[in-house]
This record gives sequence, structure tokens and C-alpha cells, in this order.
Amino acid sequence: MLIRKLLRTAWSYKAQFISMIIMITLGMGIFLGFNMEWRTIEVDTGKFFDDTCYADYRLYSEKGFAKDDLDRIAAIDGVDAATRYLSVNLDLKGEKNKSLALDVSEDFNVSTFIVTDGAEYDANSDGFWLSDKFAAANDYEIGDALTLEFQGTEINGRIIGLIKSGEHMICVADNNQMMPDYISFGYVYISPKKLASIVKEKIKSDYAKELRKANVPEGFIDDSLTELLITDDMLSEATDMVFAQINLLSDLPKEALEDSVKEALGRTIMITSKDDHVVYKEAMGEADEGKTMGSVLPVLFLAIAILTMVTTMHRIATKEKLQIGTLKALGFKNRRILIHYTSYGLFIGISGTAIGIALGYAICKLLMSEDGMMGTYFDMPDWSAAIPSFCYPVMIGTVLLLTLISFLSVRQQLKGTAADALRPYAPKKMRRVFLERFGIWNRLQFGTKWNIRDLSRHKSRSAMTLVGIIGCMVLMVGGLGMRDTMAGFLDLLDNDISAYTTKVNLIDNADIKKAKALSSELNGDWESLSGISLDADTVSLDVVHNPNGLMNIIDENNHPIRLSDDGVYLCLRLKDKANIGDTIEFSPYGSSDTYRVKVIGYNRAIMTESVTMTDTLADKLGIDYTLTSIYTDKTADEIESSDQISGKQDKKQLMDTFDSFVQIMDSMVIILVIAAVILGIVVLYNLGLMSYVERSRELATLKVLGFRNRDIGKLLISQNIWLTVIGVLAGLPAGVGVLKWLLTALASEYEMKLMLGPLTYCVSVLLTFGVSLLVGLMVARKNKKIDMVEALKGAE
Amino acid sequence: MSIVKFNDVTRVYTSGDHELKALNQVSFALEEGKFVVILGPSGAGKSTLLNLLGGLDSPTEGTIVVNGRDISTLSDNELADYRAATVGFVFQFYNLIPTLTVYENVRLVSQIAPDALDAKEMIAEVGLSDHLSNFPSELSGGEQQRISIARALAKNPKILLCDEPTGALDSETGVMVLKLLLKMAKDYGKTIVIVTHNQSIAKMADVVIRVKNGKIRSISEQTDPMSADEVEW
Repeated sequence: MLIRKLLRTAWSYKAQFISMIIMITLGMGIFLGFNMEWRTIEVDTGKFFDDTCYADYRLYSEKGFAKDDLDRIAAIDGVDAATRYLSVNLDLKGEKNKSLALDVSEDFNVSTFIVTDGAEYDANSDGFWLSDKFAAANDYEIGDALTLEFQGTEINGRIIGLIKSGEHMICVADNNQMMPDYISFGYVYISPKKLASIVKEKIKSDYAKELRKANVPEGFIDDSLTELLITDDMLSEATDMVFAQINLLSDLPKEALEDSVKEALGRTIMITSKDDHVVYKEAMGEADEGKTMGSVLPVLFLAIAILTMVTTMHRIATKEKLQIGTLKALGFKNRRILIHYTSYGLFIGISGTAIGIALGYAICKLLMSEDGMMGTYFDMPDWSAAIPSFCYPVMIGTVLLLTLISFLSVRQQLKGTAADALRPYAPKKMRRVFLERFGIWNRLQFGTKWNIRDLSRHKSRSAMTLVGIIGCMVLMVGGLGMRDTMAGFLDLLDNDISAYTTKVNLIDNADIKKAKALSSELNGDWESLSGISLDADTVSLDVVHNPNGLMNIIDENNHPIRLSDDGVYLCLRLKDKANIGDTIEFSPYGSSDTYRVKVIGYNRAIMTESVTMTDTLADKLGIDYTLTSIYTDKTADEIESSDQISGKQDKKQLMDTFDSFVQIMDSMVIILVIAAVILGIVVLYNLGLMSYVERSRELATLKVLGFRNRDIGKLLISQNIWLTVIGVLAGLPAGVGVLKWLLTALASEYEMKLMLGPLTYCVSVLLTFGVSLLVGLMVARKNKKIDMVEALKGAE
Repeated sequence: MSIVKFNDVTRVYTSGDHELKALNQVSFALEEGKFVVILGPSGAGKSTLLNLLGGLDSPTEGTIVVNGRDISTLSDNELADYRAATVGFVFQFYNLIPTLTVYENVRLVSQIAPDALDAKEMIAEVGLSDHLSNFPSELSGGEQQRISIARALAKNPKILLCDEPTGALDSETGVMVLKLLLKMAKDYGKTIVIVTHNQSIAKMADVVIRVKNGKIRSISEQTDPMSADEVEW
């Protein structure tokens, strides 16, 4: 029978029950959704990395690694597997603006791939294993022919398999590209045997060139002649040169590995751990970003949901006081009554949590699935949905907390005798509010006085309403502000930092004289990026030559810096390392030289942690560097190919890769804004309804006295409006604060400056007011239905 | 001249298939300035009658003319204006606004009543000038009812409608409130209609309307009503 009563009571408080369930659902759903997102990234990428033997460490040598080097490294205690590796970006012949990373894993025990279609890996095969995403985006099929351009020679072959590789899970051409663009960039694996034949071809064609230079008649230069000239030693030496990388699996700490490698090879080798590799770094960064997001906004939702529950349950319990008294008078034991009312909380908790779990899965899938928002970002085979283990106690805890809340609310009403319980709930005594001490009070209108006193009389209800509005504001400012910041950042990148038309990427170890000549021929600016060790951290040294202002370095306030030759600039993420005026010491990778130089400023770097200096200073210090990129005003077509150029990227194409990033951002913002609006509506409607029910007697009295519905409606709405004004005033700075905090928390990934457009302020404020007004009208509409006769019966 | 005229007024309440005739073909007229008591047991229809007269409810059939105006067909807003200008209410449970002070509760009606009287003066008339800035919860039941009378009269209405005005009070306080009510009605020349099941109050009335089962059983005029002090409680 009591269960029937539970259901009927739930029905009679349906608005409250439903809104509480919605709140718990939203809170739980968003909490789970965001937390599942990062956990799923960790789980799925982790599995994919394991499946494709993603390298723990990468050893780099400009001179390449000999077979012998590999054997010595593989023999190091603690190294589980090692392979010589090549990964180089090459243009796809016959296609404009398309390039592929060509990868070879010599022993295929590290940095491998999984085949999604076609032939399995074969170390003697002559074919290409092509990225399946690149194939799909460009309509390539198994059996199609591909031609790549490799330092003046061509690499030909047919596609024999479609694959996914952990090494290219986030398929970007370099650090400057934020999002994969499968139409313009992909990757392809070949067998070591095919690589050897390519190297041979290259040597032959180089020989042919030399012979032509030496005026050997064209008739003599043919394959058989050049073939004769090539010895096995030459071939293996050339192959060694090509393998500029050793990838290995090892659990050793970086320092220990560095020492062991130095001992094994007798020279310092640049070693980067997977934490510095773009794929792992970005994936973990994405997971960390999810953790950050998952710890603020969802917690806000959950907290608001629980607070609403506290106020609402208390109201329901006081409203049910008479019924509680009746049950008690009928002879029900306190325990039964307690269990009965406590089950309300349990009911709400379990329903809200159950629907919340479903919503959480939906949000997680929306973010993390092949067709979801992260579907473009991560190129991996398995998309699961994993719940972090701490979420289980949170779910159970929430249900228990809600049950406890209703338990405590009812226990309060059960104190004393049945007769006490049967006496109606005595409302709080009215006290003068603070404002009444001032003369201005007497000049206020009745409605105003009434509302102010009502707010102070029902402090928890007012506070909850405020929290709801502030929460709504924070979400909107946070969401829209993120977008503004991102848009501002891209605008900055497009206009202030990058004024060039084309970025020319140079080959590794480009000849510095030729490269500089090429740069001046193109009227370009250039930079050189290389790894240095600064306080035991790996960062980039950016040597810049930008007299033409085509590629700019900007300061903290996003203004271009005219670089001085007196010292170096640290990027903002390295700000803690040194103050301006301090001297820092660094050493280039693979070299025992150290350089001491004064810090003269900070700059905002986009992606990499870097130390920036002019080429003049680098030359003065005697730093050995090679050019990595040239920035020019010329279009890609106008630039003649050269053996120094590894690829050309026009800026528009680069900026286009950000589009999908912005789209993800937009979807996130839409989710947040929708969540904010739902949050606002639910919290305000619930509390508005509560306020309306509590005041129905007063409202009925006003109506009987002769106040029109509209006057009474105004009274109700004006209370909402005031709370909204206060909430908006508090919510704006709170939103900006949360955003700042988020940007600081995310700063390890990007260095962005908080930017908020006027539109964000307008939309946030207007939407919040709109929600408040809408809810006010929804509640005020109810006063038409006030039954004057009913409401006036019975004592308060 | 009649200030109130009920012509064949019927009020039917329906809930589901169930129909309840709270008032059945009721007709009567009230003279201006009289003290009228509507008497009857619970469920007789007396509160329905008062609610119809007060513009809180509209009849299912028939017409109600108050002060020369048919109020049975008025819109919500017109009814609100009617309540604001023509009738004043005194309830069993006072129905003061808990968040407004004594003065503010009485002053409140000046926002809607076209000929409102001075609030402070009315509070002085009911003898509570010392409590102007008290909240209702700080007053006794009798004091709250006196404020409620002050509020009803502050609107300067034609008719004062009282629903069991002494129902929640002890007899001593009840007598005091009734005396005050009658004195004020007389001083300000108001028609006063009290709904009650208390026979003793009926003895003080100029006119007694007895209601039973939704019909008027009798209307009797008393030429020599007793004063509150004479009535045995």
C-alpha cells in the first residue's frame, strides 16, 4: 500500500520529481560522459599502441645507424626489442598538395601496423601498405599504383594492403598541424627489401648524374654499367644513412637508457621518449584535457543537482508533515515511515543515475567513436567506452547521498509525538532584513519589499536559484569563451604569426649554404628547429631569420616581437625556468657542447616548447644548425623543386586543417550551451514552482483583495529577474575565472590567451535572462489557476 | 434600495461524473447598510454564496447584481477590479501577508482600490497603532483579525464579507472582534455580510438568511437585534 502511496506522491510532486531526476541525470551523464571520454582514450589508444608495438623510445642520428649499432642497442639490458626505422615525408607524384609519410620498420618488431584489408606484412614484398583513412579520403583501392618522389628519384609500386599504425594514430605532417587532414596527408609502409632497392636505384641515378657531369657519352650510361660500379659496402653504407632512427621497446628510465646507449655506441645520441612523440603526447594531452574538463563542469552539474535535491526534499518533507503525522497516528512505526520517505530519495537517485549512465554512454560515444568528434583526430581500429574506476563509488555515493538527504529531511519531521507531527508546519518567523535599517527602504514598492523579504525568508531556495543561474552563466561564458579564445588564436596564427603564403620544408640535414641561397632566392624568412636539452628537459631551439616579417614571433600580449641579438626568448611554458636577465645553459642533442645565454624576453609559442634566438646570435655563439623551413610569399607552383626540399605546404591548406578542430570545438560549445539552458530551466523552474507553491496562499490573498493576474505574475517574475541580475553579475566573473583556470590547466598543450568577444557576453547574458524570463512566465502562468477559495481554507 | 440581488442563482460543481449542486435556484435581495448573517450547517452552501457575492466564483446559472452591476458574467480582470473596489474580505484565518508589516499589509490595498482610506488611520481605528512595524507572526490571533478588518475597510468597499471571522478565536476575543466589526461597519456605513454556523452571532443581525442543502430556507428580518454584550456565547 505504501508503495502505491510512493508512486502517487511522486506523481503529485511530478514537476519536482522529474526535475530532480533530470538534474541527477544531467549531472551524472555529463560527469560520466566526460570522464569516460578520457578513460576511453587511454584504454583504446593504449590497446592500439600495444597491438602495433608503439615505440617507447626513438633514437635519432643524422649519420644514420649501422646494423652493428642496432645489435649493440638491442643487447642493452632492459631493451625488449629494437629496429632500425625510417619515417620521411614525401610528395605524392601527380597529385597537388598531397604527401605521405614513408615508413620502414626494418625488423618489424617495433612500430608496426595492423592490416584492415589486403595483404599481411611481408618483409620481401614490393608493394605499399597504405593508410586506410588516406585511401578512403582519396579513393585509392588495393591494386592501385602509387608514385612517390624521393630526393629526385621515384618510388613506384602498387597498394597491397590498407593499414592502421600507432606511429601515425594522430596523422599530422608536423608539429604545426593540429588536426589530421586525410585528403592531403597520410602514410605508407614499405618492406626493408623495397627500401634497399630504392636506395640502390638512387645510388645508380646519382652515379649516372656524375658520369654525365664527367661528359661520359649518354650511350654508355645504362643500368648494367652503374650496376657494376655498386659494391655491397656502398649499398649497406647508404642504407645505414637512410635509417636515421632506431625505435625500441623498453621500460628503462630515459636517463638510464641514455647512459647505456652512450656506453654501447661510444657517442651521445639524441633520444626522445614517447612522451615527446607527437602522437603519444597529443593523445595523452587529449586525455588530460578530458580529465580537466571532466573535473570542473560535470562536478558543477552534480553539485547543483545534489543541492537542488537537498532543498526540494526538505520542502517535500515539510509539505508531507501532515501525512507523516497521519501515518504515525494510524500506528505506523517511525521506522516504516522513515523507510517509506527515504525510498523517495533512493527512487530519484536510482532513476537519475540509471538514465545518467545511459546519457554518459551517449556523450562518450558522441565524442569517442569512429563517427564521433574524435573520429577524425584518432585513426585507430577499436572504439570502446570505458568507465574510470573512481566513477563507480561516485555513482553509488550519489545514490546513497540522495537517500541520506531524504532520510534526514524526514527524520526531522518525525521527531516528537504523533500530535506534534499532525500540527501543520510552522513557517519561519519573519525578521527584518538588513536593508530596512536604511531610509531608502520606505520608498520601495510593496512588491519589492515583499520579494526582498521573501528572498531572505527562504535563504536556501534563493541561494539555490542563484547557484543555478551562476552555473548557467559559467557554462555559457566558459563554452563560448573557449570558442572565442580558439578563434582568436587561429586568427592570430593566420594573420599575425604567419604572413607567408607557402612553407617550404627542407630535408633533414639540408645543406646550410644551399638552403640559405634558396631562402634568399625565394625572398623568404627561415627557421631552424632542433632539439636541445635545457635543465634535463627536451625542448626546441628555434633559430629565426625573419627580416621580411613572413613568420613572426609574438609576445605575451600577442604583439610581434622584433627579435634582438642580445639574448634568447623563452616560450611562456618555460617561463618558470628563468627570469628575464637570468642566464640559461643548454646543450644541443648529440653534442657535448654547452652554451650560456641571457634571457631577454618571453614569447607565445604555438605548439612546441621552445627557446628562440636570431641567426645572428646563433652564429655568434657558434651553434651548429641546419635550416628546417623557409617561409615565402611565393605560391607552391612558383617554387622550383630542389634536392633540399622535402615538401611544400601552403598556409591556406594548413589553416584548413584547423577547420575540423573548430568544428569539434563548436559541437562542444553547443553541448555546453544546451546543458546550460537545460540546467537553468530545470533549476529555476523547480525552485520557481516551489516558491509559487509556498506562496500560493499569499498569492490567493492578493487575488482575493483584487490584484489582477498580471500584477501577481509581475511580482513573481520580478523576483526571478532580480536573482538573475545578481546571478549574471556574479556568473560573468566566475565564468571568466573558470575559463582562465581551464586555459592554465590546458597550457601544457597550447599557449592561448584568453579572449572574449562582445558577442559572448551578449549571448550569455541574454540567454540567461531569456531562460529566467521564460521560466518566470511558465510559473506566472500558473497563477491564473490559483483557487482562491481552496487556498484560503485552513490555517497557515 | 437593494445593494445585492441574487436571481435564480445556481452553482454546480462537477468532478468527473459527479455533480454537486452547491446552490439551487437561490433568489434574494439585501438592503444597503444592513448587517446580514448567513446561517447554516457545514455543506449547506453558505460559503458558496459568499464566494459568489465576493466575485471569487461565478454562478452556473442566474444573475447576481451588486450595486447595480451584473457580476455573473464578468471576466477575470473585471472580477479582480470588482473585488478591489466593491468588496472587502475578512477571513477565518486572517490571511495577512506574512512578509509585510502591519502597516504594509493595510497600505497594500491602496495600490488597487480606487477610493482607499488612509492606512494609519484605519490601524488606529482598530487600536493597533503601536504595532505598525510588526509582522503578522508577532501578533496574537485577535490582533491579526483586527488588522484584517482594518485592511478590508481600508479599501473603502461597499460591502464587507466575513467568513467565520471569529472561528479561530476564543469567545472573549471573538466578541471583541465582532463589536469592532459592527462599530466600524456602522461608522463607515457599510453593508456587512457574515457567514457562520454560530447561532449566537445571528442574534445580532438585521437580517438572517438560513441556508440548507443549497436552498434558502428562510429570510428573517430582526427589528431589534441584540448587541454583542447581550448575546450569550
